[in-house]
Amino acid sequence: MPAPPLSPSPAVAVLEALGYGLFVRDAADGQLRTISQPPAWLAQLWPALDAPGSVLPVADASPFLENFLLDAAACWAAAGEQRLSSGPWVERDPQGGESELEATALTLPNAGGAVLLIQRLGEEFTDRKSVLQKSRENVLINQRLNTELQKKDILLHCIAEDMSAALGNVITSLRLIELEQEPAKIRRLLDLAALATQEQQSLVAHVLDAFADEIRCLYGGSASDSRRSACDVATVAQETVAALEARFREKRVRFNFPTPTPASARVAINREHLERILTNLLENALDAARVGGGVALRWKVETDTVLVEIEDSGRVLPPETSERLFSRFALASSGAANAETRLHFCRIAVENCHGEIGYEPRADEAGGVYTGNIFWFRLPKSPALVSR
Amino acid sequence: MIQKKVCLIGTSAVGKTSLIARFVSSIFQDKYLTTVGVKIDKKNVVVEGREMTLVIWDLAGDDDFQRLNLSYLRGSGGLLFVADGTRQITLDQVLEIQSRVVGAVGSLPCLLALNKADLKACWEIADEKITDLRAAGWRVLSTSAKLGTGVEEAFGELGRLMLPPIT
Ligand SMILES: Nc1nc2c(ncn2[C@@H]2O[C@H](COP(=O)(O)OP(=O)(O)OP(=O)(O)O)[C@@H](O)[C@H]2O)c(=O)[nH]1
Ligand SMILES: [Mg+2]
Repeated sequence: MPAPPLSPSPAVAVLEALGYGLFVRDAADGQLRTISQPPAWLAQLWPALDAPGSVLPVADASPFLENFLLDAAACWAAAGEQRLSSGPWVERDPQGGESELEATALTLPNAGGAVLLIQRLGEEFTDRKSVLQKSRENVLINQRLNTELQKKDILLHCIAEDMSAALGNVITSLRLIELEQEPAKIRRLLDLAALATQEQQSLVAHVLDAFADEIRCLYGGSASDSRRSACDVATVAQETVAALEARFREKRVRFNFPTPTPASARVAINREHLERILTNLLENALDAARVGGGVALRWKVETDTVLVEIEDSGRVLPPETSERLFSRFALASSGAANAETRLHFCRIAVENCHGEIGYEPRADEAGGVYTGNIFWFRLPKSPALVSR
Repeated sequence: MIQKKVCLIGTSAVGKTSLIARFVSSIFQDKYLTTVGVKIDKKNVVVEGREMTLVIWDLAGDDDFQRLNLSYLRGSGGLLFVADGTRQITLDQVLEIQSRVVGAVGSLPCLLALNKADLKACWEIADEKITDLRAAGWRVLSTSAKLGTGVEEAFGELGRLMLPPIT
């Protein structure tokens, strides 16, 4: 026996005005039918809903509703007072427009039995969404801060280790002096202690420099600043190399400058930053190079950019390290805090000027075996040069 | 034609919506717009020479603000679990979600996508962790919704896993 129709009373009109579509399950065939003229938005979504008594198309029309109606059926079968909500979903109409909907199944014994309400979600939903959006963005910010803090801890730990190693050397030398009688040996131990102290001092200076530069880079040197400043790769490279000459000689590492020296290449970066990037990369290359090995620096003028490469003949970095090289803490676990602060700084400085930086292993002539490392960066030419 | 329901599961902001947008419409957007509720897309694919319609359910991320409604998974042919490779915590979370999911729908063909592979410099998931997951039976793929890498492969691989035997 068909269920008595829900009278299209003022109650129904109110519901529809509130954005609800109302369906009652026909006990005869189990179909969900509208009891009055469906509101326009429903007809737009499912054109089959064009008259009172039209059947809600389920099977192909909405995989979401099809799934929900299985839960709804259980709710109707229980015939209790509970209501079941589908949760919000997005439905697309045949024109490609999207509506946000939510369905509720409930049983109204006096009004046709199994009832399905489909609500077109309005303003409260927009509010709910924006609360969720904000909450989730905050979680992301919070996670990012936490990671940053953890990484800072690791870095501090590495720096402390490096410093305490140097301090250890000083202490050992001093202890040995206490036991030593022979002036020549005491002299030698004093030299060692002095060397270790210097090492520690330069380490501290390095850390301070790196942080100061980073901060200047992040807060002081905005991208527009760097676009305004420009300098010549050739000049800066020559000066940087000259400053490092003693250290190259000390380690007996050959330094190869390009011959003939390439034409000047002006790039859009502030001079201090370029100096620092070159120094950092050359120092890393020097650390990596074998005693008696070589380091080369060269650059190439491209259409809108200048490519600079620093090549060393040191041990090739393992791929898992090289992929993450420029992240600040890439090498933290290997204890190379120094190298990593330098690389991280390079990345910030290069990217701030809209450049890119990267690494690749150096292959031998035949291209088969890797025999060293190449660090490269690419900077935009200074605007004057590009427009010419 | 074969039709299969696929659900994307993971915590919020790992890139579920972005993976679908890349796969279905070849688009990517940087701005994060959280999914509230469910959105369904369809895409026809050819897997091993057979046509298949994927009915792809983009589910809201499961987190403290909103739990995954397990009844949405009913009838799924396969599941694509997603974590954000730049946030280790999202991997722990998706593994926890997976245990709830298996409890509800049993074990289905599934893949684990470690998304945001373009951000290798910020990567937090160690290679050993991936080796362990594989040893535990997971099929793990790295994807980038931003660049598109691994995306076709992920859905294609899932399609293959869901392919019914030829009768
Ligand atoms: N770099 C990068 N960013 C991505 C990638 N995939 C997604 N994103 C970004 O990550 C953020 C979250 O992406 P969504 O696709 O909205 O994440 P979701 O998992 O759907 O999030 P919920 O809907 O909140 O659960 C957005 O800002 C995306 O632009 C990717 O492969 N690479
Ligand atoms: Mg989403």
